[in-house]
Amino acid sequence: MSHAPEVLGDAPDVADAERLDEATGKKLVKVAGAVAALGLLLCIAAYATDAKRFAFSYLTGFMWVVTIGLGALFFVILQHITKAGWSVAARRHMEWVSAILPVAIVLAIPVILGAHDLYHHWMGPQAASDPILVKKVAWLNPGFFYARLAIYFTLWATLAWWFARTSRKQDESGDVELTHSMQRVSAPSVLLFALSLSFGAFDILMSLAPHWYSTIFGVYIFAGSVVSALAVLALITVGLQGGGWLKRVSTVEHQHDVGKLMFAFTVFWAYIGFSQFMLIWYANMPEETIWFHDRWQGSWKAVSLTLLFGHFIVPFCFLLSRHVKRHKRALVAAAIWMLAMHYVDLYWMIMPTLDTGSAHPSWIDLAGLLGPLGVLALVIACKASRGPLYPLRDPRLAETRRHVNL
Amino acid sequence: MSAAKTPDPSGEIRNDLMEDPRERAPLVLGGQNFHTVSNKVAGIVEEKTSLKWILGLGLAMSIMLILVGSIGKLVHTGIGVWGNNHPVGWAWDITGFVFWIGIGHAGTLISAILFLLRQKWRTSINRAAEAMTIFAVMCAGLYPAFHVGRVWFAYWLFPFPGQMGLWPNFKSPLVWDVFAVSTYATVSILFWFVGLVPDLALMRDRAKTKLRHTVYGIFALGWRGSHRHWLNYERAYLILAGLSTPLVLSVHSIVSFDFAVSLLPGWHTTIFPPYFVAGAIFSGFAMVMTLLIIARKLVGLEHLITMRHLENMNKIMLATGTMVGYAYGMEFFIAWYSGNEYERFAFINRAIGPYAWAYWTMVSCNVIFPQLFWFKKVRTSIPAMFVLSIIVNIGMWFERFVIIVTSLHRDFIPSSWSYFRPRLVDISMFAGTFGLFFTMFLLFCRYLPMLAVFEVKGVMPAADPHHEPAAGLGSVGSGKGGHGHGAH
Repeated sequence: MSHAPEVLGDAPDVADAERLDEATGKKLVKVAGAVAALGLLLCIAAYATDAKRFAFSYLTGFMWVVTIGLGALFFVILQHITKAGWSVAARRHMEWVSAILPVAIVLAIPVILGAHDLYHHWMGPQAASDPILVKKVAWLNPGFFYARLAIYFTLWATLAWWFARTSRKQDESGDVELTHSMQRVSAPSVLLFALSLSFGAFDILMSLAPHWYSTIFGVYIFAGSVVSALAVLALITVGLQGGGWLKRVSTVEHQHDVGKLMFAFTVFWAYIGFSQFMLIWYANMPEETIWFHDRWQGSWKAVSLTLLFGHFIVPFCFLLSRHVKRHKRALVAAAIWMLAMHYVDLYWMIMPTLDTGSAHPSWIDLAGLLGPLGVLALVIACKASRGPLYPLRDPRLAETRRHVNL
Repeated sequence: MSAAKTPDPSGEIRNDLMEDPRERAPLVLGGQNFHTVSNKVAGIVEEKTSLKWILGLGLAMSIMLILVGSIGKLVHTGIGVWGNNHPVGWAWDITGFVFWIGIGHAGTLISAILFLLRQKWRTSINRAAEAMTIFAVMCAGLYPAFHVGRVWFAYWLFPFPGQMGLWPNFKSPLVWDVFAVSTYATVSILFWFVGLVPDLALMRDRAKTKLRHTVYGIFALGWRGSHRHWLNYERAYLILAGLSTPLVLSVHSIVSFDFAVSLLPGWHTTIFPPYFVAGAIFSGFAMVMTLLIIARKLVGLEHLITMRHLENMNKIMLATGTMVGYAYGMEFFIAWYSGNEYERFAFINRAIGPYAWAYWTMVSCNVIFPQLFWFKKVRTSIPAMFVLSIIVNIGMWFERFVIIVTSLHRDFIPSSWSYFRPRLVDISMFAGTFGLFFTMFLLFCRYLPMLAVFEVKGVMPAADPHHEPAAGLGSVGSGKGGHGHGAH
């Protein structure tokens, strides 16, 4: 069904829209910029100290922000595909977070530079004499690998940019047809998203251990991405509400919903993680169990257990409570905790390739995290300080204002 | 021809497919009020038994007789009457079990997960879908019960204490299955029954005969519709929805463990649990669709189960069907990527081996044909969705057949390779389960309110405390001027 483009009556003037005041905006950008600058300096120092370790540490931090951005992009697409009404304001915040994806193309440069260290198993000369890798050479070869990375990152950047731009256009014009076109694009987008995220996970993370394979691996990365993106959303929601913004569109009911989704995806992550682990453990085939075996050596065992308790059991019990999800400080604590656990999850997937036998945390790891983290914070701060804090003329704004949990 | 623009026979404009983001499409059409909804739904139960229903029941029970006969033959002779051989030790029996258990997933998904996600359109379809769930689980349960051969020992399936020296091996997913399926059946029945109580009271209060009044009265558990009753009800329903949600995922995950914990290529793959769950929801929605399209027409529920409801279900089928397609693709890719020759062989053998016909039937029915649902015209065409729902039912049966039989028929030792062919009892028993299923469903339609009357009323505009009968289209957007002014 087609509708003539319509302009909502009585739409607020864009110039009069709810924005961060200039001082707050500047302060946010300054703080985030300082973290990013410090992070980048540390990254340079770390690279000079130990280029190989830095490659791994940086990949961990890089994938931490990329997966958060991907989770945010998924959230944006999901709201359109389901025609969600409660989440109008939240969608804008996730559009900010997904803006890390275009930037990630630049952030990927150190990964490309370190690729021969990261993926030396299959990029190095010894791959030619490895009877298993020889069979995979059609997929695992540098040329095709870089081409695929280019496809994934271009796709993610394009989707994130397009949804955010169209949504901002609606702020100006109030055109209902833009909602329809985002809805239409969302369905094929989710398909492309699922495929690119899965193969991206295989290429960037699973191929670190190139003999190992698991069909569920893409879903596992997806689950972690969504949990961590929702954690960032919780921080933004509580932060803006606490600062006195969003009074007209977002209440504790919306915060509660973000908490519920974070809880749901925490359980989903555990379900997927358990499925992967249990089936491999039970069948006990050496070529599969090796991956978990490596993560059960020395202090890696403690990291594995940290994931079990920290990424699932503790947040499950904590977030189960309605009170917690509606309590600002408690939800913030849970969100920060989940972000930390998502980092542990990636660390646990990536670092055992380098630190065989036992985990050896180093300041270089911190550098690898702080650089990308600072850039993510800077991107969010810039987006937050430069535009309206929610989609001003979204046609479902009236619905989001009425939203209550029964 | 788009249904959205077609006036229905009464000349009314159906706006259930409207796409204005400022407003939600109505879930009840035809100018209904609370009274007419009660009359409509309760009327199905109260009116005189129709010839159509009697004929339908007669047909269903005749098919069920085939089941009774097959089971008789099976118990009398032993499970050798099935075509299972070596190495295909599992075949139509497990296929039928997984097929029915899968179908039993839509009901609880609709009633629990869609409830938690505040999908109000679920109210018109949840009752029938939950009933269908229970009947599907009953059909599924026949297979484990009768596969023991001596059915009088079927209780050995249950987890007996170790000192009785019985079979249970707690390390076996088959035992977990007994836990999972029986928990699911119990909670599904409980959830369904709790949701029925207010409507049973409605039936009791409308009853014109003593017998009806007594029977509905017993099951209505003294419901008087007091404020306190409703508060308790809402709380109980929410808790049951929360408890049922993990069950929707756990049952088919554990069914998938039956296969995936093994070493067998084609069975052992980590994506099985979520893949099975997606497939179960897919097949469940297809069956709900098949049944509701017929039922909606026969008893005239077009105003309550609108095209919007059907379209939404079609969208869920498109989504879950595509997830299943994703899993097929991942399995195939990883089989190649693993570099493991047994894995590679298993999948190439599926696609071009002796059972290639079954594999490609599965792929076309589950992945290719449902892509037609990308088109709104197909999503809103009754004949198209009816045919597609049956195609999906067929495809999902083939999926289980392909997973089970093609993975088994070429063993690690080529000398034991063989080809499975079903015997008469395989086929008649499976066909007969449809008789049981339809018999139960027809009885349900005749004796219980097919729709959750009070829930449907809850999503009508008049149930909104802010509802003003005169409010027109513009009412939703009327508050627009108020926001946008921020904190400065």
